[in-house]
Amino acid sequence: MLRITPKALLALALAWATLSPGLGHAAEVAKGGTLTYSFTPEPTALSTIATTAVPTAIASTKIFESLLTYAGPALDPKPGLAESWSISPDQLSYTFKLRPGVKWQDGQPFTSADVKFSIEKIVKPMHARGNIYFKHLVAVEAPDALTAVFKLDKTVPFFLKAFQPTEAPMFPEHILGKTDLATFRQSDFMRQPIGTGPFMLKEWKKGSYIILERNPNYWKPGHPYLDRIVMRVIPDDNAKVAALENGEIDLAPMNTIAGATLQLLAKRKDLVISHEGSEGLGPVMGLLVNLREKPLSELKVREAISLGLDRKKIASIIFYGQGEPANNPIVHANPVYYDKSLAPYEFDPAKANKLLDEAGYPRGADKTRFKIRLAGLPYGSAYDRLAEYVKLALGNVGIEVTLVNQDMAGWLKQVYTDWDYDLANAFLHDYSDPSIVFEQEFTTAAIKKGGTFNNNMGYRNPKLDEILEQASGESDVTKRQKLYFEAERILHHDMPEIFLLDQYYTNVWNKRVHGLITNGISMYSSWDSVWVEK
Amino acid sequence: MTSAALLSFLVRRLIQLLPVVLAIAVLNFVLVHLAPGDVAQLLAGQSGQASAEFVQQLRHDFGLDRPLYVQFLLYIGRLLTFDLGYSYVQQAPVLGLILDRLPATLLLMVSSIALAIAFGILLGVTAARRYGTLVDNVISVAALVAYATPVFWLGLVLIVLFSVDLGWLPPDGMTDTSRSASGFAYALDVLRHLILPAVSLALFYVAVYTRLMRSSMLEILGREFITAARAKGLAERTIAWLHAAPNAILPVITIAGVMFGNMLGGSILVETVFGWPGLGRLIFDALLQRDLNLLLGILFVSSFVVVVANLLVDLAYGLLDPRIVHK
Amino acid sequence: MKGMRAFLRRYGKNRAALGAAAVLALVVLLAIVGPLLYAIDPFDMVGLPYATPFGEFPLGTDVSGRDILAGILNGARISLLIGVTAALTATTIGVALGALAGYYGGLIDDLLMRTTEFFLTIPSFVFALVLVAIFSPTVASVTAAIAVVSWPSMARLVRGEFIAQRGRTYVQACRALGMPDWEIILRQILPNALPPVIVVGSLTVATAILTESGLSFLGLSDPNVVTWGYMVGVARTALFAAPWMISIPGLAILITVLAINLVGEGLNDAFNPSLRGR
Repeated sequence: MLRITPKALLALALAWATLSPGLGHAAEVAKGGTLTYSFTPEPTALSTIATTAVPTAIASTKIFESLLTYAGPALDPKPGLAESWSISPDQLSYTFKLRPGVKWQDGQPFTSADVKFSIEKIVKPMHARGNIYFKHLVAVEAPDALTAVFKLDKTVPFFLKAFQPTEAPMFPEHILGKTDLATFRQSDFMRQPIGTGPFMLKEWKKGSYIILERNPNYWKPGHPYLDRIVMRVIPDDNAKVAALENGEIDLAPMNTIAGATLQLLAKRKDLVISHEGSEGLGPVMGLLVNLREKPLSELKVREAISLGLDRKKIASIIFYGQGEPANNPIVHANPVYYDKSLAPYEFDPAKANKLLDEAGYPRGADKTRFKIRLAGLPYGSAYDRLAEYVKLALGNVGIEVTLVNQDMAGWLKQVYTDWDYDLANAFLHDYSDPSIVFEQEFTTAAIKKGGTFNNNMGYRNPKLDEILEQASGESDVTKRQKLYFEAERILHHDMPEIFLLDQYYTNVWNKRVHGLITNGISMYSSWDSVWVEK
Repeated sequence: MTSAALLSFLVRRLIQLLPVVLAIAVLNFVLVHLAPGDVAQLLAGQSGQASAEFVQQLRHDFGLDRPLYVQFLLYIGRLLTFDLGYSYVQQAPVLGLILDRLPATLLLMVSSIALAIAFGILLGVTAARRYGTLVDNVISVAALVAYATPVFWLGLVLIVLFSVDLGWLPPDGMTDTSRSASGFAYALDVLRHLILPAVSLALFYVAVYTRLMRSSMLEILGREFITAARAKGLAERTIAWLHAAPNAILPVITIAGVMFGNMLGGSILVETVFGWPGLGRLIFDALLQRDLNLLLGILFVSSFVVVVANLLVDLAYGLLDPRIVHK
Repeated sequence: MKGMRAFLRRYGKNRAALGAAAVLALVVLLAIVGPLLYAIDPFDMVGLPYATPFGEFPLGTDVSGRDILAGILNGARISLLIGVTAALTATTIGVALGALAGYYGGLIDDLLMRTTEFFLTIPSFVFALVLVAIFSPTVASVTAAIAVVSWPSMARLVRGEFIAQRGRTYVQACRALGMPDWEIILRQILPNALPPVIVVGSLTVATAILTESGLSFLGLSDPNVVTWGYMVGVARTALFAAPWMISIPGLAILITVLAINLVGEGLNDAFNPSLRGR
């Protein structure tokens, strides 16, 4: 398994910057052909307005585009549907010059009216993260057909990261303008999408396959290279492995093959197994701690829990090497905002026992100090094994853990609506900017019942709130970096969440496929420069 | 039985069944609303971070914020017009989703029942004819073992044997999507995929039918008319297959209706093991995803199918043995 | 007592049933003392994953390096516990409702039998699945769900027995003597109806174990305990890497269920000597 060091990453980033828009140009590109991939579960819709779940995000980003494209793991903004952009000195106004001659897949021209409509009517009010990226958006102005001006009421340092095809896709106003958007999520458009992207939906046979076909009128001359992208439904892991081995599928993206099964493929010379290309998603997995009651409200107890868990074992045995020990909510692979000087957490059960004794929780007659519950994440076998391991490991330091088995709906209700939990296993994405994970999950303002993946721990730290407030208005990268390093240090110490693992998004592909990994959201990119050897 | 009698029998049975179907609908509604959590939060959670307002907005869009009795009345009202509602998780009308999956499940279940009945009768009659011999013992022991084998495990063992080791049959799915076959080639492809799941699901019922048929045959073979047939010097084979077996089949048919509902449970397991795109798997997914409308829809349709299957069995029984109807 | 001895002698003549009883006794013994003698935590990652049987670990290790023998022994406890408890509960409910329906007849019978038929219409495994998912799987909820779906056939059976018995002279005599209904039901009729109840009850244990294993296989088991179905589910994630891993817990289920069924049949034959072999 390739292990990326920060230095290597930097080198990669540089390489990307020079080689952009894709590695495809390095070798001789073969045009035509089909790329077949498989992901489980099957998408339920082909727009991220309906759901931003991974299967939909992968498939819909070939059809829908946003104003910008991105390069490198740090997601450097590049032209997309907008040819260029400018930012006003007060950073409250972003002006995008749209590319002339771009057509919707039904032949109509793409204009600033579509941008205004998409953002104001659909993305901001209806997208699950619309209110994160566009919270401070006042209006989108369209002074002429090829100019769109975004007016903000507060500076948003990461505003240029918002124009990813999953986060701010463009929708055709001439089709949707007159429809009732209240039922947009249930509308046929979700299954018969029309975008500006390099691929168009040809056929969707539920339960079997989705065929996307080359958009012959795509605005980028000569692109896309592929004639067709096929998404095949193969629910079973082992069958997916077999399909990869015999070349029936070329790509199994984003952990769709579980770590246990991945091992079977490790020896194959014709396959690439890599976790590059998802740096912009940055999931960190850990145990959320309900801080409202003793004993978990005590720092020493949380430290002891952290000391009692062997993160290396979790990474190597439970997740089969598909991750590395974490020590804060930002992944190591993040090229800018991960603080490398942060100490890794130790594994030291003896010390954990000592801390628990000191904290006033001696072992009782049955060797148990106290009992807590763990709501494991119902995301499949690796998470089940993790919960079982936590129960076992904490049992060794005298904490009796009772596991609660629930499905996702029950889990969300218990953990985020009722706050009726002690420890809960979850993984949190920082998406493209650290502010998202920090502000949504660790600020006092984010303590709110009934959302999802917010501050359900009940963690309050005025100092952290203040730092994050400062960072949210800071546009100087170096100063911002310093503020987030500080925030990381606070969380590293306070442990409202026991951070366990940077989780990889592992992609497996056949070596005949080229140009897949282009940036930190590679699987959510348009694949207009992906090509396959004949 | 005259057609008038048949009709009145049918009508009577249907009237009896109506409250059962309605009660099932009510029970389903109550049950699924007891489940913790809802689809709104689940969908919001798929996206990672979502605000409480966003969850509430979804809830409103889906009509989940209305009082329960209103939801219930709407649900019953819809059922009466055979409108099963909309699945917010799958983003599609429930009826369409069910109809998409129903053929696969019916194919699997009907093949399994056919296998079960065919082999059950064959083995049962054979065992009864050779009562007490080695053949009888082997069949009886095999039936006992099959009767005790967990269906999901059997499926996995068959995959290991026929897909992994021998590589004869595909372990997963219903068609080979890499080749978009049509016509005869398509049917052949489906058949290849069908064999392992159908055999897995059928084996338990082969055991059931074998045992039933055997004991039923043993009883019939002791009756007078068989003795009379023997006295006439008819061949044992003729007696067994032409005289005894048709009479022994009656109890086997009775149980087929009940089995149909029972088999749906087995098909959840088999469809999970083989990735068979049928209703069973859909039930399980809908349950885990709190896809209430879909879950209610499938439970309703499957109960309905079971009720109808039972009705058909009653009917068949009535036709085979007219006394039942008038009893 | 003489009847009992004759019964045992009849049972003993059936060699298959005798062998099955021995196997079952062994399973029960292993369930009780096994985890004490082989005191390894079935969740402990004691070695490397995928260790094959008959090496360092008697039955090898699973996908997370946990001792499979420890899992089998602990799983035996849970399977038997759930199977027996669920069957007893279902039998109690079924006997109570069936006895009332059969003894009193009329409206009570109608009401109870409509309810029973109603429950028989709902596919039982699906119903159990929904119940367990809703109330989140614990040993208690799984047991209760299996009991809830298992009682109707028992109720039907007992009702039939009671209808057959209630017109008999001894019942009429009891009535004439002014014996209260509950006494007639419990002391007079029930003992006569007991043999088929015991047979069907024992078969219910087998079905309950199969149902439990199916639920566990789908992930609906108490996460704090190991069950055989759960072990098959875990092994399934490594089906191609370690195909042998599914065999051990699967065989454990098969052998146990087979033994219980054979014992049930043996009991049936011993109760009804005339039907032997049918």
